[in-house]
Amino acid sequence: MASAPIAPYNSSPLGNSSSPNASRESLKMEPLADVAMLPGEERVIDKDIIYICPFNAAVKGKVFITNYRLYFKNTDSETPVTLDVPLGVISRVEKMGGASSRGENSYGLEITCKDMRNLRFALKQEGHSRRDIFEIIFKYAFPLSHGMQLFAFLSQEKYEENGWNVYEAMEEYRRQGVPNSEWRITFINKIYELCDTYPTILVVPYKATDEDLKRVATFRSRCRIPVLSWFHKENHAVITRCSQPLVGMSGKRNKDDERYLDLIREANGTTKLTIYDARPNVNAVANKATGGGYEGDDAYQNAELVFLDIHNIHVMRESLKKLKDIVYPNVEESHWLSSLESTHWLEHIKLVLSGAIQVADKVSSGSSVVVHCSDGWDRTAQLTSLAMLMLDSYYRTLRGFQVLLEKEWISFGHKFASRIGHGDKNHADQDRSPIFVQFIDCVWQMTKQFPTAFEFNERLLVVILDHLYSCRFGTFLYNCESARESNNVRVKTVSLWSFVNSDTSLYINPFYTPESSRVLYPVASMRHLELWVTYYIRWNPRIQHQQQSPVEQRYKELLALRDQYLKKLEELQLSDSAPSSTHLTNSSTPNAATPNQHITHLQTPF
Amino acid sequence: MMFSGKQTKPTFKSYLPPLQTDLKKSPQLPIKKLEAKLLPGEIVVNEANFVRKCIGAESSQDDLWGKLVCTNFKVSFIAHNALPRQRFQCTHRLLGEHDIPLACVEQVVTVNDVKGKQKILGSNQKLKFNPTELILYCKDFRIIRFRFDEAGPESAKKVCLAIAHYSHPADPQLLFGFEYVGKRYHGSTGERVNGVDPGGGLQTPLFDCSSDWDREIKRTGASEWRVCTINQGYFISPSLPEFFVVPVSLADQDLKQYACCFYSQRIPLWCWNHSSGSALVRMSNISDPQQQRKVEQRISSAITKSHPLRSDVFKSDLDKNLPNIQDIQAALLKLRQICVIDSFEESEEKWLSSLESSRWMEYVRTFLRYAVEIVYMLESRHVSVILLEKEDRDLSCVISCLVQLMCDPHFRSLHGFQGMIQKEWVMAGHRFLDRCNHLKKNDKEESPVFLLFLDCVWQLWNQYPAAFEFTEVYLTVLGDSMWVPVFSTFLFNCPRQRAEHSRDFASSKSIHLGQDQALRFPPVWDWSQQFSLKDQTLFNNPLYVGKIATCVQNGAVKTFTHRRSKKNYSSTLRGLPSTLRNGSLGPNDTLARRNSLVLRLRSDLSQVREQQETPSERFVRDFFSRPVDLQGLLLPQLLPSHLSVWKLYFLRWVPEAQIPQGGPITTFHKLSVLTDEIEMLQNQLRQYQGAAVTPNNLHAEHSKMYFKATSTPHQSPAPLEYLSSSFPFSPVGNLCRPGILGTPLSKFSTEPRSGSLQRRWLMRRFEGRALGYDCEVTQTGRSKA
Repeated sequence: MASAPIAPYNSSPLGNSSSPNASRESLKMEPLADVAMLPGEERVIDKDIIYICPFNAAVKGKVFITNYRLYFKNTDSETPVTLDVPLGVISRVEKMGGASSRGENSYGLEITCKDMRNLRFALKQEGHSRRDIFEIIFKYAFPLSHGMQLFAFLSQEKYEENGWNVYEAMEEYRRQGVPNSEWRITFINKIYELCDTYPTILVVPYKATDEDLKRVATFRSRCRIPVLSWFHKENHAVITRCSQPLVGMSGKRNKDDERYLDLIREANGTTKLTIYDARPNVNAVANKATGGGYEGDDAYQNAELVFLDIHNIHVMRESLKKLKDIVYPNVEESHWLSSLESTHWLEHIKLVLSGAIQVADKVSSGSSVVVHCSDGWDRTAQLTSLAMLMLDSYYRTLRGFQVLLEKEWISFGHKFASRIGHGDKNHADQDRSPIFVQFIDCVWQMTKQFPTAFEFNERLLVVILDHLYSCRFGTFLYNCESARESNNVRVKTVSLWSFVNSDTSLYINPFYTPESSRVLYPVASMRHLELWVTYYIRWNPRIQHQQQSPVEQRYKELLALRDQYLKKLEELQLSDSAPSSTHLTNSSTPNAATPNQHITHLQTPF
Repeated sequence: MMFSGKQTKPTFKSYLPPLQTDLKKSPQLPIKKLEAKLLPGEIVVNEANFVRKCIGAESSQDDLWGKLVCTNFKVSFIAHNALPRQRFQCTHRLLGEHDIPLACVEQVVTVNDVKGKQKILGSNQKLKFNPTELILYCKDFRIIRFRFDEAGPESAKKVCLAIAHYSHPADPQLLFGFEYVGKRYHGSTGERVNGVDPGGGLQTPLFDCSSDWDREIKRTGASEWRVCTINQGYFISPSLPEFFVVPVSLADQDLKQYACCFYSQRIPLWCWNHSSGSALVRMSNISDPQQQRKVEQRISSAITKSHPLRSDVFKSDLDKNLPNIQDIQAALLKLRQICVIDSFEESEEKWLSSLESSRWMEYVRTFLRYAVEIVYMLESRHVSVILLEKEDRDLSCVISCLVQLMCDPHFRSLHGFQGMIQKEWVMAGHRFLDRCNHLKKNDKEESPVFLLFLDCVWQLWNQYPAAFEFTEVYLTVLGDSMWVPVFSTFLFNCPRQRAEHSRDFASSKSIHLGQDQALRFPPVWDWSQQFSLKDQTLFNNPLYVGKIATCVQNGAVKTFTHRRSKKNYSSTLRGLPSTLRNGSLGPNDTLARRNSLVLRLRSDLSQVREQQETPSERFVRDFFSRPVDLQGLLLPQLLPSHLSVWKLYFLRWVPEAQIPQGGPITTFHKLSVLTDEIEMLQNQLRQYQGAAVTPNNLHAEHSKMYFKATSTPHQSPAPLEYLSSSFPFSPVGNLCRPGILGTPLSKFSTEPRSGSLQRRWLMRRFEGRALGYDCEVTQTGRSKA
């Protein structure tokens, strides 16, 4: 895991953060100096503007637009009001009011963000004053729609470690105990020939030949054949993932696919392979109309099919939208609980979690499973990665979690670009959906229920979600490996993990207690699922924003105190054992003997 | 299935504990004498043998066989085969593992599932059928079921009737506490028995003497207030204590004159003084309308005179703004319905909206918000506040305590908190006897006002866990103690009632009270009555900042106990002009975090003036814009999204809601171990400095922490297998979904349908896990047989 001494992204000669272009308005540099600009970040425009804060009155100030962010600072009061918004989080920019609109502050801009907030600015009505700022925000927030590059490709950030090396597929499979006599590694997808949304390295049943794989690919939506995600070292049960079979209206069958699933079952002698179809039963049936479908009982006799009732990306998008309505700008106070219920957000979380629990339980009881939804890149990724998080404590470490995301989400083609719409102006795109946010929420729910089981803390989860949108790092860009490769992402952009791993202390959960063999089953009940307020309701100034949970902070203080004591004791013991010790004159000799005995074992770790 | 009409005989296995379990038990119990352990004054009223206590929700396999006993104190079940896994639970000194105090029984339901009959039993009732089943609904949200399939029908009926009868005592003096205290602390000759003085050496002030009040006056700097003794012997007001505090400017003569104008002659009571000199006062309605204005003016001006700044008095009418006691009771009943009575799975879907319609959370929020308003008046407006309530015995108790808890860190210490409850609840005459409905006579008077208060405290605790010396286990156990009818705290409506009943009981039993005013009922604060010292350490919060602010300086360990000197207290607590507070923070805050991502995590919007905001909203917002001083003012976050259900209290008995090896207890465990280790190191360091301190070998006994550091320190403590979100309570043996008419839980035996498969599966997982140990043992035993 050691980072390469000279990472490719380090080769840039530009070492300083002050880029030449930034001097364009060097006179006005001062206010933005509140925030250090990123290497590669350049100022584009600044303007006097009024920020219509939903929680306060209008705030006069100045907005600064760079190629990375929108920064606002007030000028009308000593108490600072600032906004620091990466342009990547913007989903929509609109003009509000016209030149003739009446009323104070009726002429301006409305910005909708992907991270649960909206921003409104007002400008002077004279002389089309908003035209330039609107155009610039529009252009820089949606660079891909304007033939420009995402900021990740312009960033000149440098970090000690190259985060792109966090995940090496071969290394990860070896850690799991693969290849072995039951599972082999195939390079059939080396140039994305078999499946263009899968990674190059795939793990398949030992007995399945590459020819078999090709034939199976014809029967699986987008050629996403069942491949191994996780291998249980003790009982050899596996989690495999894929897309739906192309059954269609006529109920087509494919002998190769049937045999292939049976090979998965056979590999560890599972009597009945369980196929988890993440969708609701009706949706699976409806998919037949478009050529998809599910594994029928007749065709797959050694398998049982279980539907997990998880809804599709559109339902999830609408659900989060409803949630935003009740938390931003103000929390719905009078009927909070029933409003929350009517968003169904927690209900969806519950279904995803309980689906994953079933997968994990099945595997830990020794049976292999196949997980799929329609295309196998949304709900499937949620289920496999959550189940793996429950089964394998490695994924609960800071490193392991990065590997899990890289593997199950990024390499297996969760369509980040489509789901998030990086740099794309089409805010109403039906492909957008907060599937990954929902997954991170599920992880958060698990960390709440098992506060000592995860090496990372809530802050990591928030940082991940912030950079899901920010476009500062290459990690979540593009839809699949092949696209990432052709765009040279690993060379041209910085990985989020470079940033995270440059200061891991921020993300470490002090309560973490490693437990290698424990399977974690959260309770997927509405009684325990909570709204993640520190993420969803963090923009409300009426809520105290703590850097760290007070409990976590207190524990760290206590740990520091203990270390201080230990050090002190060691010093005392050293000076005690020195022959010319004088400072213990007052202490009685019988007493002095006791601590010695006790300290010997205390000292061993030094 | 297993509860259906025809019941097979219990198997051989059921009667005899498997060999394996015996090995694990202490050797002196090979032959079981199935007899209830009795306390002094406790007598067996009725009993039935071969009773089955239902344990598992799914099967009868784990049920326990034993004897069901009704005493004048409790319903006791003595099992043949005890559950071995209960070892971790705190052992209650007055109650066995399967015991329920009669005072905790809310409803006694008998069922005959063959005849399809069911009857709720009251006192002195008849039962026309032979019960096959007894369900006890408990006030603490437990539901316990017994089956009588193998018991004699007559004895089953008799024991049910006895339980029903004895859980409805006709007279307060039939509450077990009287017999118990009489026998235990007052020998028949009038001599003190055991030489134990209940509550002796207690650090908690009971406020039943003028010195406790004097100390409180001094502590809060309320120099213009005095202890008034005119109610000694309860001659003025029947519901006021003998000692209370009034403005210096009001003479006893005046007070006697005014007393008759107030409801139940309750002269206004001083509660507490803010460091600014503003006082918190509670007052009942003035019953004489002609006198109202005059008396009110006299009282107000006296309070004004007692204020160092001669500030105004703000009168706040609680009855107008807060839910009444019936509302609160109705809310709890609904909450109980959805928490433990409705089917777990069926209530999942509508959990949030059902929770909302119970209105419990809404009331918790209303009370907290109201208290915040009062805090604003005291803290920011510097005026004294009168809490006005018709009788001044319910809502005032809640609000006055919450205000004090938010303002004064003293009340967040264990003894401060307990003293506050003595002061504002017990002495001020909260009708615990009526509100608990111990006599089950008047349901209209029953109301969980105290539980609502505890929930409000829990919300504060949950938001600022390091600010309180106690834990949520403490709050839970305190709530449960209401149903153990031996404590002076919860048995009476007011101090006078306690004195009268004591006198009556003493004379009827020829007990000489001697110089005691009343029977020596222990206060609940004498926790050794209920728990061992070790178990009491579960109350100690390892996060508490007041206690463990220690540091090493030049080799010397200093411990700051944070006992605030008066000067210190006032300088931080006193309301600075809020404009000053604003400016000091913002810029530094930004600078410190420059260049870090954190910038985006914090609120972008600092405090800015706003027109539509009310001053108290502004006050709250100012508070939240500053870092919190845990030893200073604490305001709760009141957004409904930031209040939670008190899961430990309300869901602890629900097996499906239990998180095995999870929940907040797992962090508590680690904190506890670390704190213990620090204590150990402190001791060692002190020894180096030659200070006379507790020797190391005594450490274990003196440690304040429940979970102890091991002999190999700074290793992460291994998680304990028995920890769960319900710890230290166990949901095992408490059925939460009793079916009606003997066909309970039928849905669990039906074939799973695809849609809800995972839910049913979840159920199975819980049961399997919770009882895994037992099952294993049983199977081994069976195979040997």
